[in-house]
Amino acid sequence: MRRRRIRPLVLMLTIAMCVPALRLSAQAAGAPAGVDALLDGSALHDVWIHINARDWQDLHTHYQDGTYYPVDFEWQDVKLRNSGIRVRGNTTRNDHKPSFRIDFNRYIDGQDLFGLRAIVLNNAWHDPSMLHDDLSMLMFRRMGIPAPRQAHVRLYVGAAREYAGVYVISEEVSKTFLTANFGEDNGYLYEFHRQDGDNYGFQEQPDLGWYVPRFGPKTHETESIANLYMPVRSLVEAVNEARQDNLEDRLGDYLDVRTFITELAVQNFLAQTDGLVGGVGMNNFYLYRFAGKKLSMLIPWDQDNSFSRIDVPPSEQMGTNVLTSKIWNEPKYRNAYLARLLDVADLVSSGWLEQEAARQYEQIRAAVYEDPLTPYSRDEFDQANAFVQQFARERTDVVRHYVASMAPEVLNARRLMTRRGP
Amino acid sequence: MPPRTDTLIMVRLATFVAVLSAALFAVAAPAAGQVKLTFDKHPAIDFGDTFTASVRVKSQNDWRDFPSEPGADPKNVFDPYRERIAVEGKILGRVIYHVEREFHETSSPWKNIYLDTRVIHGLHLQGGQFNMPFGLDQTTSLMNLDFNYHSLAGSFLAPGRGLGVMAYGDFFKKSLLAYEAGVFRQDGDNTRSAQLEDVRVAPTFAGRIVVKPFSKWQPLHFVRSVETGVAFTEGVLPAGLYSLKGQTIPGDAFVQKLYVNGRRRRLGAQLQWRPGPIGVQAEAMRVRDTRIGQGIEDEDLPNVVERAWYVSGTWLVTGEHKKDTITPTRPFLNGGYGAVEVGARVERLSTGNGPTLNPALFGPRSPYVLPTADLVWTTGVNWYLNKFFELSLNVIREDRTLPRTATLSSGPVWSRTFRIEFGL
Repeated sequence: MRRRRIRPLVLMLTIAMCVPALRLSAQAAGAPAGVDALLDGSALHDVWIHINARDWQDLHTHYQDGTYYPVDFEWQDVKLRNSGIRVRGNTTRNDHKPSFRIDFNRYIDGQDLFGLRAIVLNNAWHDPSMLHDDLSMLMFRRMGIPAPRQAHVRLYVGAAREYAGVYVISEEVSKTFLTANFGEDNGYLYEFHRQDGDNYGFQEQPDLGWYVPRFGPKTHETESIANLYMPVRSLVEAVNEARQDNLEDRLGDYLDVRTFITELAVQNFLAQTDGLVGGVGMNNFYLYRFAGKKLSMLIPWDQDNSFSRIDVPPSEQMGTNVLTSKIWNEPKYRNAYLARLLDVADLVSSGWLEQEAARQYEQIRAAVYEDPLTPYSRDEFDQANAFVQQFARERTDVVRHYVASMAPEVLNARRLMTRRGP
Repeated sequence: MPPRTDTLIMVRLATFVAVLSAALFAVAAPAAGQVKLTFDKHPAIDFGDTFTASVRVKSQNDWRDFPSEPGADPKNVFDPYRERIAVEGKILGRVIYHVEREFHETSSPWKNIYLDTRVIHGLHLQGGQFNMPFGLDQTTSLMNLDFNYHSLAGSFLAPGRGLGVMAYGDFFKKSLLAYEAGVFRQDGDNTRSAQLEDVRVAPTFAGRIVVKPFSKWQPLHFVRSVETGVAFTEGVLPAGLYSLKGQTIPGDAFVQKLYVNGRRRRLGAQLQWRPGPIGVQAEAMRVRDTRIGQGIEDEDLPNVVERAWYVSGTWLVTGEHKKDTITPTRPFLNGGYGAVEVGARVERLSTGNGPTLNPALFGPRSPYVLPTADLVWTTGVNWYLNKFFELSLNVIREDRTLPRTATLSSGPVWSRTFRIEFGL
């Protein structure tokens, strides 16, 4: 009898002593420099996903399902237990080297990795260089556009710590991202989901139901369709009703035209074929409407189709979108757009982009060579990286020549300003 | 979407029963004079000893007042809870058949479909889909329940129906000892694994022994109706998120879904006592699921154990004797007020073996199971108007033990249900 009483007591004491070591937030776990160390891209980190072997197999077999499986996430001395993992992606979704979303809150409310409730592991399936997305996001941020931070990691999986290849780890566009970039998180955030057959570019859609599958709410998810989508429809109406020669007059409350032009300039400089003016209509962005305001902003996402061709004219596909058509057809806005292209060109001509591309290539090369799941050969990886660096070297001249031929006054004004100094 | 394998089996089984009945009926070719149509409690047709058929209708419609809770889906006030039709009878005076279909629920509309025959004295054989012999409340017909809902033990821990064969019978006079023993294709339809679309054979054995120790005891006649029993099931548990369910009275899940693998074992004990107009019933169950290789690192995890019990009491105020089916001595609008019964039940379902210190310990592949429980008090009034109609009102209070991060209310949570029941 005595022994019976003691055993549960010893068990409870042992658990009570061990449990304080487990915390809901990795911030308190004595980890190094927080999530910046993981996402600043200065080093190639190792991430270990502890997952049941059967789940790992199921996750590949049912990769289309989006089912979550429990995992422990380990990075350096941080271990977040009972997180959830699922396969993610649209055209990049596959069962060979899937992309993942890891949700630290899936089974445990309030658990986070230095404030991040979830992270994304991208397979860079369409990008043999593995750099397009990361370099694009860096470029957006350098141009003052909030964009998710990304870095490369070596992924290890399972009890045997098997190497599963190089992934691009990315923060999500989420409430944490909104707070970090806008100082608020109570506005309305939507992820745009392009529908097959759509070639959408701000054309008016009076039916609110049209917006439902295309603008997936990431905040205020349970609000009524009217609450969620009437403001989005109003934005689209404003785009359509705005006078071409004075867009701000009607659109200014809904969208910062100058910011939109900057986003457009970055994407078109980087020859992104699946972005705001891609060949299939608008794609790969989030829409955030600030709390208590009509004003919205587009946040870039999934830029792995950038760096497509060095000689792409930065006016390509501008006519397919109501707003970009107005910008392109109105000299005032067209010149503003061309001027922002030159700003991007100036940034790149400093050599920064080429150096960063070369640095990242060197950082991940050995790990990619050993990647057991990459769909690309070493030669393809090397050649794709060589092209990215070539793009960084040569794109500036292409863009400047284009601007010179389209609007020499914009280039001249820039030269004059450069001579005078700031 | 292709039909579920077990649905196909049920359709084949129903077809088989129908074809067999028709064939036997055709062979026997009864004379027209032997045919008899009756309508006592339900419409029936007899072709002498060759073939009999009667139609049973069960209808239960509920009006519910459930609390609005965060994290729970809104519930309709009106709920057509059960709408069933059954055909049953005898073939050649020896084989009993029963085919039953639910019209409200569409996920598994076929309910009890079986053939049953007496082989020798003390040995009956039953084959098809029917209730596995575990759980007094679960194996009680829904028309004969004392309360509007099955107990939590009956709903979530007892296996429910399964496809299999069973031997049963009783020995000695006055059913002093009764037994049931069967083997089933897989666990019962109350479980998650039964919802698998690609059903593999994962046999479950079930058995129950019920004794009436005082049935022949003359001195104290009021204890003669005491019957008590024990039951078990033992079966294969496929690997996956197939731990047992647990739902609140409004139907929201409160028990953590866990990965299990290996074997599931149920143990249960039951007691029923019906002295005159009073009915007392109690059950206790324990279910143990193994979790072989289900840890994050493929390690074996400790077993999951769920427990449930209930105690209930009823009193037929109008004096009728408590039986499975209550028929008022003086039906309503036929010289009387019908039969009125009041009752109360207290029950609890619980699981969890981990400490409540840190939520980070709990996950579907964690060795720790989130401690959760639901303690439910039900009080009710049943008004049996006649042998066809019954009105029931239940007031239910729940006190839930939930993790601090749960969105459902811990309680007390009050629900009210009113039911109109029609049975033919």
